Amino acid sequence: MLIAVSAVRHALAADVTPGTSSDVLAAADKEGKLVIYSTTDSALVQPLLKDFGTLHPKIQVEYNDMNSTELYNRFLSEAAAGSSSDFLWSSAMDLQMKLANDGYAQEYASPEAKSLPQWAVWKNEAFATTFEPIVFVYNKRLLKPEEAPQSHPELVKALKAQPDRFRGKLTSYDPERSGIGFLLITQDARLDPNFPETVRTYGSVGVKLYTSVGAMLERISSGEHLLGFNIFGSYALARQKKDPSLEIVYPKDYTLVMSRIAVVPKAAKHPNAGKAFLDYLISKRGQDLIAKAALFSVRPDVEGETTASALTKKLGGTLKPLPVGPSLLVYLDQAKRLEFLKQWQQAIGTK
Amino acid sequence: MRPARPWARRAIVALAGATIALPLSIIVYQSFLDAPFFQPTARLSLDAWRFVFADGDFHRSARSTFLLAAGMAAIAVPCGSVLAFLLVRTDLPGRGWLEPAVLVPIFLSPVVLAFGYVVAVGPVGFFTLLIKQAFGGAPWNLYSLASVTVIAGLTHIPHVYLYASATLRSLGADLEEAARIAGANPARVAWSVSLPMVWPAILSSGVLVFFLGFEMFGLPLILGDPEGILVLSTYLYKLTNRLGVPSYQLMAVVAVVIMAIAFPLVWLQRRLLGAAGRYVSLRGKGARQRPLALGPWRWAAFASVLLWLTATVLVPLSGTVLRALVTTWGEGIRLADVLTLDHFRELLEYPNLVRGIVNTLAIGVVGGAVSVACYAAVALASHRWQSRWAKAVDYLVMVPRGMPGLVAGLAFFWLFLFIKPLAPLRSTVFSVWLAYTVVWFAYGMRLISSALLQVGPELEEAGLSVGASPRQVVRSITLPLIRFGLLGSWLLVFLIFVREYSTAVYLLGPGTEVIGSLIVSLWATGAIDLVAALAVVNVVLVGLGLAVALRLGVRMHE
Repeated sequence: MLIAVSAVRHALAADVTPGTSSDVLAAADKEGKLVIYSTTDSALVQPLLKDFGTLHPKIQVEYNDMNSTELYNRFLSEAAAGSSSDFLWSSAMDLQMKLANDGYAQEYASPEAKSLPQWAVWKNEAFATTFEPIVFVYNKRLLKPEEAPQSHPELVKALKAQPDRFRGKLTSYDPERSGIGFLLITQDARLDPNFPETVRTYGSVGVKLYTSVGAMLERISSGEHLLGFNIFGSYALARQKKDPSLEIVYPKDYTLVMSRIAVVPKAAKHPNAGKAFLDYLISKRGQDLIAKAALFSVRPDVEGETTASALTKKLGGTLKPLPVGPSLLVYLDQAKRLEFLKQWQQAIGTK
Repeated sequence: MRPARPWARRAIVALAGATIALPLSIIVYQSFLDAPFFQPTARLSLDAWRFVFADGDFHRSARSTFLLAAGMAAIAVPCGSVLAFLLVRTDLPGRGWLEPAVLVPIFLSPVVLAFGYVVAVGPVGFFTLLIKQAFGGAPWNLYSLASVTVIAGLTHIPHVYLYASATLRSLGADLEEAARIAGANPARVAWSVSLPMVWPAILSSGVLVFFLGFEMFGLPLILGDPEGILVLSTYLYKLTNRLGVPSYQLMAVVAVVIMAIAFPLVWLQRRLLGAAGRYVSLRGKGARQRPLALGPWRWAAFASVLLWLTATVLVPLSGTVLRALVTTWGEGIRLADVLTLDHFRELLEYPNLVRGIVNTLAIGVVGGAVSVACYAAVALASHRWQSRWAKAVDYLVMVPRGMPGLVAGLAFFWLFLFIKPLAPLRSTVFSVWLAYTVVWFAYGMRLISSALLQVGPELEEAGLSVGASPRQVVRSITLPLIRFGLLGSWLLVFLIFVREYSTAVYLLGPGTEVIGSLIVSLWATGAIDLVAALAVVNVVLVGLGLAVALRLGVRMHE
């Protein structure tokens, strides 16, 4: 009876089970444990972890969420001490890429990786797992939808037209204090043809810069600020569900797309469990749950509102996914980084 | 003096010294490298020092830190001393319930406090909006260095109060009574008689408050954020990302700078304390003291205390509680439309948050007691011991307190990682407890030492001269005499441990969750609803803990 039930369940699940090879699966079951370091809220990924648990009941999962700098620090010190976690999953794309580039990542030809877009995989070492648009968020109690700027040039125009209304009411990440914020603003510098003018305008209304997205959304929601730019769509959506005062804009000139990069470290204690989780995370089944968690599925074959395919239908060529690759490392060069920050400070008028 | 048993004392002192010196030396060593110390490419270099000292932000933040710390001490020390005098020596109304109430600001994590102020009196806070409606404008700017200083000063009054009141209580009132009989008014008694006797406690608490100003992280982090106001600790935090990759060497330099400022202060404090014998006043006799009559000033004093409590407790706390009960807030919101209890329900759905609450209680109650035992052991080991060892301990314990909690936590993370026998303990609350105990060493030690200072040597000498061994003297004379000091320390350590936030950030993992570090972590990911709910739980836990302690008769005075 039991055998029959499990056979049926197996048959039902067969078409959506990740294509992890039986060797890796057997080894992963033997390892019996999986330690994940992640920047994604554990609340958001509970369904994913539960589902992975039903697929691999023998693997006990330990999920640690922390901020991206802490994740990087912790991994490096642990790798130096000889033990490390089995799976790194972080939204700090540059730091993840640096780990791979510095030789900390394990090469693994995931059978699921061929379903990912080409830009999403680097040397079978670093894998993009989500497709998160970077958006404007505004307070719709205080800013009418028809007043809300729909693109970067429109934002600049609005700020110039009503400088007093926006004074101290514009918010974003502080690139000096937040790694993510830095990465985002350097992408703006690449994609916005009028970048210097844009930054000067931000500075002219006294943009308020924060280190955490929570602080920004909270203050937009309360009306202390009217509008924020360079905000992760996933966080904004999660907050919007509970908080009707927020509205989201996908900038029309270009919408930057960020991704959480997954890496299985070379020093992993349970490398096969790490590989199995990677397969799962980028499989159709895992990506379905990623989409349900509003983290935006990266796989083109996943359907739903919060997926790459839906966003592509809506925004088409203005979507600018950030490719996984060494181009992410440009500003980790100290001299370049400090030079960029110096220019930023001058333009924004903090120095 | 009694015959010392140097080996036992030296063992205790050496153990405490090693626990403090190890994380410290990692940080100093790190500051002279050009990469994280565990990387094979790390070389000795002064580059990190050059970088920091060439950075304009460093000098700006150092200046603001001095202003902040000095301003804080200037507010907290006089107010705290007056508060102690009012509550211990006078007939102030409501002393019974004021006694625990004035300690409340200590319970509140600075992050919670700052957040509460934003909701209550920020630019669109609900008090601000009320006042705007009534008067057309609100006269304050919450996001300025001056506001941070005033808030920090007001919230540190209880630190001074605890030291001053503990000392006042252990002092006989006979001198004050004599002054009163001679016709002095209450102010005169306070100024000329009480004050000189509690100088050691006030001075040491003043130095501690100054330290805390250097270490302060949560308030400037949240309140200084929108205007970009930096102090040394938030500058250090900013350095984390300045070079893109975490730069331990730069952080270490700033930590060393902070400690280098701390050392002369410790020395200064020791000089000021001078010959402790001058202040001994708990003699082998005692009389029940009668409260000093304040006369017409009674209600004025009462009103000032209430006003202070409103500003430091009621206002931010109402902000936090309100935030925990609503889905959104601010301009254009009718609060009645957005009330909810969902955030608390949500809290219970997360096993790690529930574990965090349990761990926090365990570290506070059990860990706090063990920590006080450790502090007492070290304090007794160096008690009346004219030796370089004892002096060394005095200086050593002050040092980790000058170390930003964030960095101290990181140093302990490394210790638990690289010292193999400790490795299995890393993912247990023991690691967090040890880090807390060391970081708050000076704090606990000072309280116990202040109590010890009041024990006249003749009482111990009397014990020795009738043939008691040094151990019997400690057990039968010294310990019973300082038992209220010990209980007070336990209470204080409990409150501090429950509220601590930055030290545990790097040690945070399954099994080591505590409320404070969870709040920091959730704050960064944006789960403000949970932050507010967790903050309220934190405050309630502490309130309950205090209620139980009072119920059990744990009093800090008798």
